Amino acid sequence: MRWARAILPPVVFGLVAIAAWQLTVTAGRIAPFILPAPSAIWDELVEQRRNVWEAALASGENALIGLVGGTVVGVLAALAASRFRPLAEVSIPFAAVLNALPIIALAPLLNNMFESTSSIPRRLVAGIIVFFPVFINTLRGLREVNPIHQELMHTYAASGWTFAVKVRLPGALPHVFTGLRQASSLAVIAAVVAEYFGGLQNGLGSRITSAASFTAYPRAWAFVVGACLLGLAFYLTTLLVERLAMPWRTRLIA
Amino acid sequence: MSAVVVDKVTKVFHPGRTDEVVALSDVDLTVGDGEFVSLIGPSGCGKSTLLRLIADLIPPTTGTVTVVGKSAGTARKEQAYGIAFQQSGLFEWRTVLKNVELPLELRGLSRAERRTKADQMLALVGLSDFAGHYPAQLSGGMQQRVAIARALAVQPPLLLMDEPFGALDEMTRERLQAELLAICAQTGTSTVFVTHSISEAVFLSDRVVVMSPRPGRITASIAVDLPSRDDAGRQSPTYFDRITEVRQALRGTPVKSTP
Repeated sequence: MRWARAILPPVVFGLVAIAAWQLTVTAGRIAPFILPAPSAIWDELVEQRRNVWEAALASGENALIGLVGGTVVGVLAALAASRFRPLAEVSIPFAAVLNALPIIALAPLLNNMFESTSSIPRRLVAGIIVFFPVFINTLRGLREVNPIHQELMHTYAASGWTFAVKVRLPGALPHVFTGLRQASSLAVIAAVVAEYFGGLQNGLGSRITSAASFTAYPRAWAFVVGACLLGLAFYLTTLLVERLAMPWRTRLIA
Repeated sequence: MSAVVVDKVTKVFHPGRTDEVVALSDVDLTVGDGEFVSLIGPSGCGKSTLLRLIADLIPPTTGTVTVVGKSAGTARKEQAYGIAFQQSGLFEWRTVLKNVELPLELRGLSRAERRTKADQMLALVGLSDFAGHYPAQLSGGMQQRVAIARALAVQPPLLLMDEPFGALDEMTRERLQAELLAICAQTGTSTVFVTHSISEAVFLSDRVVVMSPRPGRITASIAVDLPSRDDAGRQSPTYFDRITEVRQALRGTPVKSTP
């Protein structure tokens, strides 16, 4: 019952919104090149499902590799920065500059550095975008150590490395996942948008631009829906991994 | 051999600065083998500081601390003592069993040995059924029992406790006091116990050491000889006499000489 009460309102709201959209477009006679009706988008999505699926796989692969790579580098960098204070002082402003940089804007430059059939530029863009939230959140978590835990590990004569692995890192996990939740959606956005700037034409981003340039707007929208579902899949997977990685947490969103 | 010898120890925080604090001044304390000693005094009298010196969590400014015949630093590195604080300080990402296993893990014991010892300790504090639970699923009293089991896991000759029952309700507190005494009797562990409850100190201890603040020093050492350490002991005249004696010592009025 409680489950139904949590699920029902957003589902009803979503259905009403789509119905209103459909009604506005058909009754208001809005030109399909401005805003196609949901029914038209749905028809395209069904017709193009193979293409959408394949393009989503290609973009998803880039996003996933960027997400994993950026996360690994982010966590390792945070571990290093938490161990050596001077390193943190140097790296935080550096990371902030990196974050302020419109990283997507690097895509055409990166495309230039690699072959036109290479997927590396998109993966790099996704990885760089993922790095910042993971790094900052993990570093914050690593620094917030319960003073009693610190004293206890001191009484156990634990080395700095043991302390980092057995106390700092598990204690920082909630923060790591806060970063990962932001990063998982960002990775998909980065991987899709990076395709707008040329390079290999196999992902959702390139399908959206090519459909739009052929004025096939419902088809472009169908690929947008695909990108939306891909981002959702990434986010939900992150939540699932979070749940599995922290079984001691009784609530998912704390 | 004495479990703890504190010899002419002075501790000054921030020496030479405007916020200089003399936390302990010329403290001598000896805890015999198997003895249960409570440190009692008002807030800021340096009782926790004294415990931390024994634990080698902070160094003394002058004087020496000897723990089971070794320097405090060596004793810490050899895990010659177990320690428990007011907050249980359990690692929330480890199960109850894994929490108790941690000190054994850091000693390099094999998985099977760790498991056996941790199981024994959990049985000792009556929590065998909760081995697979996470700390967040336990009550405050149960968490504190896990912390005690963890402190005893390496079977240290000395147990250091800093107000371990301070955050618990009276009922739980009395039950845990009785359990602690049974455990100490069973394992033969010497104990230094910091508290600011007079009744707790008298009930648990062989000797109550009374401290006064600014600068922290030992003002009295009162031997407690209860006929028994149970509910009957809590009702005995000796119990109330010793409580009065400790209370007077805390107030600074001269202690009546007991014949």
